[in-house]
Amino acid sequence: MNHSDDVAHLAECSTCRQRFADNVVAFDPAARRAREAEFTSTAERLEHERDGAADVVARHLRDTPVDEWPRLAEVPELRNNAALEQLSEEVRRRLHRQPREALAIANLSASIAESIPSSQYAPVILAQLRANAWKDRANTLRYLARYDEAIEAAERGEECLAEFASLGHDRAIVRMVKGTTLALLERFDEAHAILSECRRVFNDYQDRRRYLQAGSAEAGALYEANRMTEARQLWSNLLPVAIAEADVDCQARLHNNLGYCETHLKDYVSANIHFSEAVALFTDLGFTTEVARTERGAGLVLIARGQITNGVARLNEARAAFKAAGVIDEAGLCSLRIVEVLIGRGEEAQARILTQSVIDEFITAGLDERAINAVVRLRDAIDVDDVTTETVRTVHAFVDSIRQESRDVAN
Amino acid sequence: MPPPALPRCDIDEELFTKLYKENMDVLVAVAVRKFQVPHVDAEGLAHDVLLSYLKRKDDIRELHKWLIGAICNASRYYWRQHGRNIEQLDPEREAIRPDPASTNILETLPARIAAGEALAGLSPRYQHILRLRYYEGYSISEIAEHLGVTAKYTQKLVAKCLRRAEEVFNPKGGGKKK
Repeated sequence: MNHSDDVAHLAECSTCRQRFADNVVAFDPAARRAREAEFTSTAERLEHERDGAADVVARHLRDTPVDEWPRLAEVPELRNNAALEQLSEEVRRRLHRQPREALAIANLSASIAESIPSSQYAPVILAQLRANAWKDRANTLRYLARYDEAIEAAERGEECLAEFASLGHDRAIVRMVKGTTLALLERFDEAHAILSECRRVFNDYQDRRRYLQAGSAEAGALYEANRMTEARQLWSNLLPVAIAEADVDCQARLHNNLGYCETHLKDYVSANIHFSEAVALFTDLGFTTEVARTERGAGLVLIARGQITNGVARLNEARAAFKAAGVIDEAGLCSLRIVEVLIGRGEEAQARILTQSVIDEFITAGLDERAINAVVRLRDAIDVDDVTTETVRTVHAFVDSIRQESRDVAN
Repeated sequence: MPPPALPRCDIDEELFTKLYKENMDVLVAVAVRKFQVPHVDAEGLAHDVLLSYLKRKDDIRELHKWLIGAICNASRYYWRQHGRNIEQLDPEREAIRPDPASTNILETLPARIAAGEALAGLSPRYQHILRLRYYEGYSISEIAEHLGVTAKYTQKLVAKCLRRAEEVFNPKGGGKKK
């Protein structure tokens, strides 16, 4: 190994760290001793709280009705860092399945964090726990598509951290939520600038997991802004990192995204290779629904770019994969996309057979009657030769809106 | 009001003391020698980095890489906050430990003002590249990674930005002729 004072080398070599620090003399020895004492007492306090917290948050959430959760902010055993860490974990667990509950917990968490007295922790720790609570709230609001409020919450988190130069990691974590929210608001330039900076910071901290997340979101913003070549370059650069991290899920998503990019850049051979890689990796992971979504996405984008045969083949794969995963509504939506292509080509007989099979599948699965009736009317229209691709698109949009509606109710 | 005293539990206090002692000096050294942060502020930064580690420790896989990354990032942020116009140390301490950022300031000030003017006339992308290189101290390879291009290309890009800055600052005689 070549020894040097390069920071990357210092991070890896204990001999060089020791040599590099050899002639450092404490500027003010008394202040240094006081700081050391503050560090150890803070460490003890945080560890002690973590040891004593056990399942305190889960217990209180379980034993309190959801609409009374705000009053938990006054419970003394929840007013510390360990409880806030557990609340953060509860937000993460509920985000996808019960986002409204996740928001209620994030609100509780922010309320506790803001009212913890400043004497309880060192200012740095206090800033971290407050910023984390606001980040959770921002992330949940973003998930619920309340984007303006999400940005406000993220900015509140940033404010908590602003005066601390040492909290770059926390700052980047909060700003990543802001960046991804801005991308959803189609403010791509701002999103790109923030996410690019976050990626750089995560690289500084060697936080590979978040480096991949920020990079992928940054490339997503470039893609949405139609900067395809840059998006492709960035996603391609992230692939070796995901491979080195053995993050198969990330690799699959990167291949999927690269497939979209290549399609827009008219390199259909590369696109097919990337989509196939994504399908293979999702299959390895057992993510059956993701396999189907990848196939469907690939199919739609290929059709949109005039690659009809390849696209329909992908949609058929998607339809089969959704059926195998028991997601009948999405399988039906794939079928309707194929019906649209068939109608466009004048292959009404094939279109009718497929439409009838959608009706049968919807009935067997006991789906919403309004969706079944819509597809029945489509079949009848095909029978009397009164159908256009626009008719199929309308039925597709209607069935999709019913599916969304039932998901919203479930949440 | 100080926090209430806590009962003792099985926490290895020595482990944290060791961690502090082993890392404090190297973090201070990085801030002072790599980023010219004044020593007194470097100690504050290093201390805050170590404290912030306590909150994140379960999230960190490689302690030393994280700590070194944290102090580099903190030092850059420090200069962004202070804009290289930090408060003077008290005269007694200054004599013993001169602040590298203010040493020979009269000699370097005109150059700094000129650099600021030249930078203002560049495109945002060029400004960004030069800021990364000369204000925030990123290496060529770090900038290359950030931009998603090769180090060799980044070297050329930085040289091009400098040429452009020169043209902006001195459009008649000093700029490179086409």
